[in-house]
Amino acid sequence: MLEDKVLIWKFKCGSSNALCRIYEKYKKDLLRLAAILSNNVSDAEDVVHDVFVSFAQSAETLKLSGNLKSYLLTCVANRARNKNRANQHRQTVGLNEAEPVVSQSKTPEQWMICSEELSRWSSIMAQLPYEQREAVILHLRAGMKFRQIAQSQGVSVNTIKGRYRYGLTKLRSILNGEVKK
Amino acid sequence: MRSAENIEKLVKNLDLGIDTNAQTDQAVLAELLDAQKKSMKQQSAFILQNIRRFIMKSPITKLAATAVIIALVVLGLFELTGTESTSGVVWAEVARKVQASLGSIVRCRATTSFQPSDETDYSIRYTSQRYSRKDVYKAGQITESYYEDFDTNTMTYTMTYFNHIHKHYMSRTFNKNKNEFFLEQHDQWMNPRYLVQRILSGEHRNLGQKTIEGISCEGIETTDPAALGPLPGPINRLEVEMRLWVNVETGYPVLFENKMSGEAEGKSMESEWVMDQFQWDVELDPSFLEPNIPPDYVDMRSL
Repeated sequence: MLEDKVLIWKFKCGSSNALCRIYEKYKKDLLRLAAILSNNVSDAEDVVHDVFVSFAQSAETLKLSGNLKSYLLTCVANRARNKNRANQHRQTVGLNEAEPVVSQSKTPEQWMICSEELSRWSSIMAQLPYEQREAVILHLRAGMKFRQIAQSQGVSVNTIKGRYRYGLTKLRSILNGEVKK
Repeated sequence: MRSAENIEKLVKNLDLGIDTNAQTDQAVLAELLDAQKKSMKQQSAFILQNIRRFIMKSPITKLAATAVIIALVVLGLFELTGTESTSGVVWAEVARKVQASLGSIVRCRATTSFQPSDETDYSIRYTSQRYSRKDVYKAGQITESYYEDFDTNTMTYTMTYFNHIHKHYMSRTFNKNKNEFFLEQHDQWMNPRYLVQRILSGEHRNLGQKTIEGISCEGIETTDPAALGPLPGPINRLEVEMRLWVNVETGYPVLFENKMSGEAEGKSMESEWVMDQFQWDVELDPSFLEPNIPPDYVDMRSL
C-alpha cells in the first residue's frame, strides 16, 4: 500500500520509472482478470493495453481515493464489459461452442502466455452469462465487495448478489457435470 | 458433488498460471512511456518537476527515493529503548523539550553525490509548531525559500517555493484525502522538532560526553535505518549513521550529523548532512513565516 502511494505520487510527478513499476507489478493480475472475463486472448490483451495507455495519460487528472490495484482492476472490468457489449454475439455460448481462451488463435506475437488451467477455466466461465461471470470473478478473484461492484456498474447491490448467486449455481452445475463425466 | 462454498474456494484459489511475452512487454512499455510523455504537457511537466524538486530538495530525501513518509513514533516507545544514561541527559526528556519548543532556528549543510556541491552553501531553517521556513544561501545571498504550513484543523499542508534569482514562485496545498502522505512530511526526521524522536525510535547507543565549541555535550548514535521510519520503496545497501549531541546543561541539541548511503532505482548515492547553530524555544514572528509573494514574482504555472 505504501509503495503504491509513492508510486502514484511519483507517477503524477511524471516519473517513467514509477509507470514501469506499476506496469510490472499489476500486468499479470490485470491480464488474468481480463482473460477470464473476456474469454478471448486478443480481447483481454486489448483491454489491458487500453487500460494501461489510458492510465499512462492520466497523470495530471488521476484522483485515486481507493487503492491502486482495485482501481486498475475496476478499469479492466469496465473496459471488458464495454468490449463484451460490442461483441454481443459472443456473450453466452453453449457448452459445445465455448472456445477456450488460449485456443487455437495463439500466435508468437501474443502478449500473454497462458496456462492450460486458464484455458480450462475460461471455457467454463464462457458458459455463464457475462453479468454473472463478471459478478463471480470480480467478487472472488478481484476481491471486490458486492457494494463496490454494484457502484462501478450503476446497479443495486441486490442485483449483483443475485447475479453472483445464479452464477455460482450455474458454475456448480457445470463443474459437477464435469465430475460426472 | 461440490458445494457452493467449495466452488467459491476453488475459484478464489485458482492458480491461473499466466505470464507475459517479454518482447511484447517491452513494446507495450515503450508505448506507455510515449503516451505518458505526450500527455504531460510541457507546462505541467515543468510545474510537476519543480514541485518534486521542491518537496525533494533535501538530498537525504532523494536518497530515500522520495520522502520518508509515515512518522509514527510515540513517546511511549522511548521507555522501551532504554538509552537513559547515568551521566545526566535524559533523552526522552530531550525529545519532549525539543517538541515543546516554541520555535527553532538551525543551520543545515549538506553534500551529496548526486547534486552539484556548488548549488548552495547552507540553509537556515526556522520552525514553529505550525509553520516552517527555509532560506537557501549562496555567496551570502538567499537564492531560494521554502515555506510550509501544516494546518491540523483542515488537515492541509501548503508548500510555497520562491526562486529569488529568477523571481518565480509556486504554491500548492495538499489535502489529507487526496495526498495524505504529504501531510506526514511535517514530522519527518529532518524537522528539528522530531529528529530526537527519530533517533530514539531506532536502536541507538550512548557516545558519552565531549566538548563542542566550549559546550559540554552528551551524544547518542544510531546506525539503524529504522530511525528513518518506513521507506517508500526498496533501497539496497542502505547505511545510516546519525549522531546527535545535546548540551548537558540546557538539554537541547547543539549538533546533528548524518551520513547515508544506498542504492535507489539503480543509482548509488551518498550524502552527508549537518545541522548546527541551533537556537531553541525561540518565539518566531508569524509574519516572518508567512509567504508573502512579491508583486514582481511570476507564478511558475503561468510560464
